Amino acid sequence: MKLSRLALPLLFAALAAPALAQKEVVVWHAYRAEEKAALEKVVAGYNQANAAKGVKVTTLAVPYDAFADKITAAVPRGKGPDIFIYAQDRLGGWIEAGKTVEPIDFFLDKATIARFIPTTMEAMTYRGTVYGLPLNYKVITLIYNKKLLPTPPKTSRELVAMAKKLTDAKSGRFGLAYSYSDFYYHAALQNAFGGRVFDPGPKPVLNAPENVKALELLMRWFTVDGILPAEPSTALITSLFNGGKAAMVFSGPWFLGEIAKEIDYGLAPLPTIDEAGGKPMRPWMTVEGVYVTAPSQNKDAAYAFAKYLTDTPQAKVMAVEGRQTPANNSVYADPAVSGDAILSAFRKQVEVAVPMPNLPEMTMVWSPATTAMNTIVKKAATPKAAMDQAQAAVLKDVAALRKK
Amino acid sequence: MSDQPDETGKGSHRLRFGAGLLVGTLLVAAVGHRLLTSSLGETARFGEDRRAVVSLRALTDVVARAGSGEAIRTVVAGFAKWHPQVAATRVVLFDGISLDASTDSADTGENAPPRRLKREEKDLYDRGQRLRAAIETNRAEGGGRKDEVEKERLPDGSVSLAAPIERDGEVVGMVEIRRVPPPPAPRPSLLTTLSYVVAPVLLFAVLALVIGERRLPLGVLAALLLAGTVWGYGAQSWAKLSRARTALEADVAGQVKTSAARAQELLGTLAATAAPVPETPAPETAPEVAHAVPPAPLDPASWDSDAFRRPLGLSDGAGRVDEAKVAATLEAAKTAVRQTTILLGALALVLAGFIGLGGLAALLGTLKTHRVAYSYVLPAMVGMVLLVFFPFVYGIVLSFTDQTIYNSNAPLTEIWVGFKNYVSILTDFRVAKTAADGGLVFNYQNFYWTLWVTIAWTVTNVTYGVVVGLILALVLNTKGLALKPAYRVLLILPWAMPNYITALIWQGMFHQQFGVVNQVVQMFGMDPVSWFEKPATSFFTAWATNGWLSFPFMMVISLGALQSIPSDLYEAARVDGASRWQQFRSITLPSLKPALVPAVILSVVWTFNMFNIIFLVTAGQPAGSTEILITQSYKFAFEKYQYGYAAAYSTVIFGILLIYGVFQNRMTKGTEAI
Amino acid sequence: MSLFSSRSRAGADEPPHFPMHVLLVLATLYAIYPVLWVLSIAFSGKQSLAIADVPSDPTFWDRLRAVIPWPADVSLSNFSAVFADQPFATWILNSAIVSVATTVLGVFLACTAAYAFSRFRFPGRQSGMMSFLVSQMFPGTLMLIPLYIILVKWLNLGSTRTGLVLAYSTTAIPFCVWMLKGYFDTIPRDLEEAALIDGASPATIFWRIVLPLAKPAVAVTALFSFMTGWNEFILAATLIDKETMYTAPVGLRFFVGGFSQQWGFFAAGAVIVSIPVVALFLYLQKYLVSGLTAGSVKG
Repeated sequence: MKLSRLALPLLFAALAAPALAQKEVVVWHAYRAEEKAALEKVVAGYNQANAAKGVKVTTLAVPYDAFADKITAAVPRGKGPDIFIYAQDRLGGWIEAGKTVEPIDFFLDKATIARFIPTTMEAMTYRGTVYGLPLNYKVITLIYNKKLLPTPPKTSRELVAMAKKLTDAKSGRFGLAYSYSDFYYHAALQNAFGGRVFDPGPKPVLNAPENVKALELLMRWFTVDGILPAEPSTALITSLFNGGKAAMVFSGPWFLGEIAKEIDYGLAPLPTIDEAGGKPMRPWMTVEGVYVTAPSQNKDAAYAFAKYLTDTPQAKVMAVEGRQTPANNSVYADPAVSGDAILSAFRKQVEVAVPMPNLPEMTMVWSPATTAMNTIVKKAATPKAAMDQAQAAVLKDVAALRKK
Repeated sequence: MSDQPDETGKGSHRLRFGAGLLVGTLLVAAVGHRLLTSSLGETARFGEDRRAVVSLRALTDVVARAGSGEAIRTVVAGFAKWHPQVAATRVVLFDGISLDASTDSADTGENAPPRRLKREEKDLYDRGQRLRAAIETNRAEGGGRKDEVEKERLPDGSVSLAAPIERDGEVVGMVEIRRVPPPPAPRPSLLTTLSYVVAPVLLFAVLALVIGERRLPLGVLAALLLAGTVWGYGAQSWAKLSRARTALEADVAGQVKTSAARAQELLGTLAATAAPVPETPAPETAPEVAHAVPPAPLDPASWDSDAFRRPLGLSDGAGRVDEAKVAATLEAAKTAVRQTTILLGALALVLAGFIGLGGLAALLGTLKTHRVAYSYVLPAMVGMVLLVFFPFVYGIVLSFTDQTIYNSNAPLTEIWVGFKNYVSILTDFRVAKTAADGGLVFNYQNFYWTLWVTIAWTVTNVTYGVVVGLILALVLNTKGLALKPAYRVLLILPWAMPNYITALIWQGMFHQQFGVVNQVVQMFGMDPVSWFEKPATSFFTAWATNGWLSFPFMMVISLGALQSIPSDLYEAARVDGASRWQQFRSITLPSLKPALVPAVILSVVWTFNMFNIIFLVTAGQPAGSTEILITQSYKFAFEKYQYGYAAAYSTVIFGILLIYGVFQNRMTKGTEAI
Repeated sequence: MSLFSSRSRAGADEPPHFPMHVLLVLATLYAIYPVLWVLSIAFSGKQSLAIADVPSDPTFWDRLRAVIPWPADVSLSNFSAVFADQPFATWILNSAIVSVATTVLGVFLACTAAYAFSRFRFPGRQSGMMSFLVSQMFPGTLMLIPLYIILVKWLNLGSTRTGLVLAYSTTAIPFCVWMLKGYFDTIPRDLEEAALIDGASPATIFWRIVLPLAKPAVAVTALFSFMTGWNEFILAATLIDKETMYTAPVGLRFFVGGFSQQWGFFAAGAVIVSIPVVALFLYLQKYLVSGLTAGSVKG
């Protein structure tokens, strides 16, 4: 009796103490390998520094293919994380569905905004409200096999001339290979002509004349110049480049991990397009943002970590060790980053990149656009006709959402 | 059921019909009471909200005309004096994230406005931004999709409303009011409701004594009494509701009138205070705005509005109700009440009939007699009901709505569209049209095209799987054949390996230039085929992949099933001089039936809904011509965000499979022994 | 019994084995050809898919060489990376636990239900059978969210193996019930009736007489149930919130998500994941070989 009277408060104290002190911030991400290691290193550093405050950040890696579904299922039901990291392409959809992403305008101060490359901030903004801090960006750039091509082309004329020399279609060699029938990859060319998907606001304009012009140039590369392989799946592009059968590739940072060890490659900005008045190719940029979830119980702590994660010293870890291209601008002044040929090449490319739209209407564009692209490259329809059809399909789907 | 009356028979028609009537009336009373209570409550809340919106919009209009922070505080203070139902008013301006006026008791002393919002008040700021985004969205889309007046019901029953402050067409801030909890809504009396149970049952008891044990008259009597009860309850409910609703309209119209007068008064004080004070401490933009906008006259008639600030137009702003419009809305409400009454009555009648005619007794008897069988089936059933049938009901309910990503949080009743989705899917027969050159151009997005592809897909795949699987099983079942274990293991590899990668390998094999299939084609001197260019060849690639993936399963099933055939059957047949083919026809096939028929039926179902292979191999190429129904439904849900439509698509798929399943089962007696 | 049957089978009209071997070899080549490509990617040490690589103006032999799956250089690096990069062994173990539990639960519940459907005549029997079939018909595209609500919100089984086992079993049960019921129907009732007269309880009859006779069908359903749990990805990835509790398919998908497509790692992982399935089949196939029913029934 005596013992229990004494032991009970003790027991309670032992149980309550850690529960009181711990404030857990759960982070979901889709990273693997070095990206994951770098993130975990940053988290460990944060936890060490903030142990006294009782904040503990924990991470969970979720496969990319399940990530969006998992967020959609878990977060609005209060079972999700406090923070998640994902590209901006689904952002608009989650905001419209509600109870998923927390607006962070209120937390943002000018110094924090100034930290980032402006276009990456744009990607985090939906209808005038900021919903996340940009962590990194991904853009496609020109990747070339140094053995086949000592100096990369700067203009589209040079590109075609060099590529023609290196192409021998019959034996499966191509000067240039990229997933040109994939609308995402094609967008770089389209944007050079001033093409766009929405204008103004969320109004689709897939068949804008600039878009058609870009497609006509692509078809010239494919049919007249013959520098591109047919049916260019991403798997094929990797195989061609690794087999030394493609001299140049347009692809992004993800591609570097797929290149075989024996290939000596270099990076260069995408060429300017003479046919578009010498304007540069402007690839679409996907930005991975750090989002605080709406049902989170620790929004302040979550935002504090998001801010920490995107700060310059941490951006350096994510860049140098995680091989990411940070959205943080000042990190590129660091010699460890600016001296890195790959990181600085992507930084250069992002200057002309366009943030991919984060509107929910964008998901309605992909399928008709893919159909149009395939129809065009199979020569089953002219660029104009195919894009008109795609535009009609997208308009119909968009209208179906906006009844009332 | 037919032999039940003998057991429960004597003297119990009266009892059973009585019980049926009792349960029926109880159901009507219970459900009716609940519905009436909630409708009355809803009407009261509706009125409360409308009055609140009117006063809020009046306030917002005045605040928008107040130039400085000081003026806003004057207006808010004046407003608070006249509105005892408003517990607190707060005004937020986005510029500087500031709280500019507040009558909340917490916002005094050092918390007194104007001041920057605090961290805990983030929701307040976000709410304002949400309104701004809503207005911009509605303008950009030219419609009303997002609430421009937000309403939130707080746990204590009070309501918190927020409306935007607009200057020069731009949202610069927000006014939020929190109302005091409203008085409890009128509730229907329980005693009245109970009388709708007691009266008919008593009446039945008395009349039943007169009628005696005669089934038909008793049944008719019970039905009549029940119908009368339902009608009576419905009529009195409607009377109550329409009265409440009419009173409400007059009330709201009155509120508009009062608010208009008060707002004018506030504007008056505003002018009075603004004139002598030269506005020294305020930011420089404020006086500018005050001068730039010539104060437009207030429009009180527009204050009684919906969530998108569109006027309801039920009164004129001077206290007069537009009788014709109110009558029209009442008529709509009346139809709803009538429909509910009829539905409830039908339900009660069915229930009463079930009990009265002895269905319940029979059901209980059956459960008792076969309790062993049921207890064997039950555990497997429970899981199914829980994890399959709930989602299934959810899907079917969803199919009758037009839920999309934009309204996924709206209550189902608001987005109910009946059979509209089904009509739009099933009545579009534009499968093909004649092109300019006279050829047919197919519309690959059409349901019937996709259905045709799906059927072709299912039939060819299942046939291939069964034929190849069965042949291999038969060969592997040969006694004494060498290397059998090795063959068997190698032959199930397509099933064992994750199909995510094997499907990709198959897709790669069909590449125009670098695929092995075209290499083989060229080995024999033929021209390479561009497989994904034409619907037929593209379909073939997916079919080849799925056929390869599915035959091992059928082989294993057949191997298992072959073990059930006693070998002496063959012997007897041989003695009779039957050929091998005859043996196969008359012994093997019939014996395989019990295992193969279910496997075939289920294979059809699975193949019909085989999402992965189409998605991974052809992705619908070219132009969506090789989509099957399931991939289309996926597109509607996850690419076009039309959840209701996708659910209807899924339900149609389900319907087709159900018809097939029932039909096939009849034909083959799949549930029966040989 | 075996003597009896081998005598009868080895009769003069037994077909020659040679054509059967030809057929089986061809079928086996067909079955393993894509698998060999997977293997060649797994052992290539690279991340790219293999392509048919021919010189210009290729001869017949050039093409033949191109269609034979063989990596240019053989390396085990993909395999070692799969284990070094992630706790893949743990994930395979998790998969094994979940799949075995699914098999046990699924087959057990299916056996009892199928026995009732086969041996008892009761109202609702037909519709009960149908309802199992019907449950497979509703497309799963929109089912993830409701399933999540039930398992995580209502039953609080998020991040548990129980939740996964429950979901997988209910997926597998309908097929198992139908398969077993069909098989039970072929088992003559004389034995059970005799046992009943001898005073055996229904449970004893089921466990001692019927189930042993139905071994081939049980083996098939067990394999099926196991596969249901073994290769499932999206539900496992959605329900489980702990990395240490992921299953192998979840782990595998890390290699090919989004833009990044490291097929070499994925292929190596896929090969590893297939091995337990093959092992299970090797174990189960003895039940698919000898005609147990015939012997036992004849006694």
